[in-house]
Amino acid sequence: MKKLIVISLLLTAALVVAARAQAQVIVIANPGVKATEVTKNDLRDVFTGNATTLPGGGSVVPILLKAGTVHEEFLQAYIGKNDTAYRAGWRSLVFSGQASMPKSLDTDAAVVDFVAHNTGAIGYIGKATPHEGVKVLAVK
Amino acid sequence: MKRLLIGALGLALGAAPAIAQSLEDLNIQIHGYATEGLLYTTQNNVFTTDSSDGSPAWTEVVLNVTAQPMPKLRVGMQGRYFLLGNIGNNISLDWAEADYKQNDYFGFRFGKVKTPIGLFNEIQDIDPAYNFALLPQSVYDILSRTTWLTHLGGVAYGSARIGSTKQKLEYRIWGGQQVELPNDPNIMLGLEGTGISLPNGWTGPMLGAALHYKPTPSFMIGASNTFFRTTWSAQAKWQLPSSITLPGGTVLPAGTILQGTNGTPPSQLPYYFAKYEKDKVMVAYEYMRNQYLSFYIWPTEPLLNSSFRADQRSWYAMGTYKVTGKLTAGLYDSQSIDHQQPLSVSGSPNYARYSKDWTVNARYDFNSYIYAKFDEHFISGTELDYDTALNPNGIEPTTKLMILKIGVTF
Repeated sequence: MKKLIVISLLLTAALVVAARAQAQVIVIANPGVKATEVTKNDLRDVFTGNATTLPGGGSVVPILLKAGTVHEEFLQAYIGKNDTAYRAGWRSLVFSGQASMPKSLDTDAAVVDFVAHNTGAIGYIGKATPHEGVKVLAVK
Repeated sequence: MKRLLIGALGLALGAAPAIAQSLEDLNIQIHGYATEGLLYTTQNNVFTTDSSDGSPAWTEVVLNVTAQPMPKLRVGMQGRYFLLGNIGNNISLDWAEADYKQNDYFGFRFGKVKTPIGLFNEIQDIDPAYNFALLPQSVYDILSRTTWLTHLGGVAYGSARIGSTKQKLEYRIWGGQQVELPNDPNIMLGLEGTGISLPNGWTGPMLGAALHYKPTPSFMIGASNTFFRTTWSAQAKWQLPSSITLPGGTVLPAGTILQGTNGTPPSQLPYYFAKYEKDKVMVAYEYMRNQYLSFYIWPTEPLLNSSFRADQRSWYAMGTYKVTGKLTAGLYDSQSIDHQQPLSVSGSPNYARYSKDWTVNARYDFNSYIYAKFDEHFISGTELDYDTALNPNGIEPTTKLMILKIGVTF
């Protein structure tokens, strides 16, 4: 019985840690983007080059972080790939003439600034990053 | 000397920090990759290389430049240096296009564009894009890939969700001219030893369509077909490699040159495929059928007119598994059989009728820019991948092929 309780607590702790990791990343968009929420599938389609619009209308342009914890957490939570596999997927599209590589920026602040000032831009940042001038999209 | 220069360029590109240059004001991006492969076969020489002695004659350097002058318009071009054995050793244009995307439902690109047939045709020459050093040759024969990679014309494309579900439908429609240059490996190796050449290469109109159905984001099932609606014909030249005695006793000596026509009546090229990819696993299957008639007409010597039929039916099943974040293992079984070829010749099995290959593979990604691949191929049959010039003692029915490849991309 005691063992069962310990295992349950450990599992719960692991789930909480995982949920907290996901909760550390938020998706932001230019205020001109009509959508207020986005599904995981739609988000994945946009950030893998399979879509350029969100339901609700309006073209969107994905903006990436070059590296870092927020970037890795976003990929794990919403794309299901690590950075190497993710960029390889984009390079397939680039080298076959189907897309251009999305812009990658160094910091959360740079992402916020770019998304705020570019129509259709959609990106991701850490939850604690100040994000005036952009709207937060709920991911369902 | 050219190889050394190209190799130095490739190394310089790879040695630099793996960062694509983006010219902000003009939205210009530059990307590239370089690969070097080593082939070794236990017997037979493959792909016009001296692979039975170990051959490093497999080098590619690719440079890609794109610009997005307007949000819905993208233009770009890609050049390639390619060397495989005695093939290539030149710089060519992969594609050059303008792409206008109105929305997810409709886009259109035109120029010299990739032809979206099958599962992997658009990326079969993009080494960083897949796990294996060599894609299944039954469907993606490296020696004939330039025939199918691109066409001059356009591609319309788009996708749509089915209702409010996760299901998705994607389409591609293409048309234009397919062009094979006189020195295309498909022509050169196909006619090797016959004395026949096509001085102006091949060209002809084609039309195609593909449909991809995704019932879930992880699973896709699809089909494509390319229609060659008119008879293609090309100027042919035949320099007789040996004398021919015609019915009636006339002897045409070796070296006689005949001018004629090579033609192929209307035909189709269907592909059927499915792919599942989720988390660490990828599984794919593809079937292709290439059925056609080819004829030669020699107006000055009509008794030498000839024709032959081919009915190549090919398939493969493949899988990959991401063992760790950097290591991915792969496996495939691949078969190609020409059903027009006899099962036996002079009482012996006709090994030229088929090619079977099962392969184990590993890919290691050192980081996002540098990777290495290892393939071990167990090949039987000689339908594909061999030339007679580098196998003067004949071709053995089986061989093992080992490939080591390293690539750098940015």
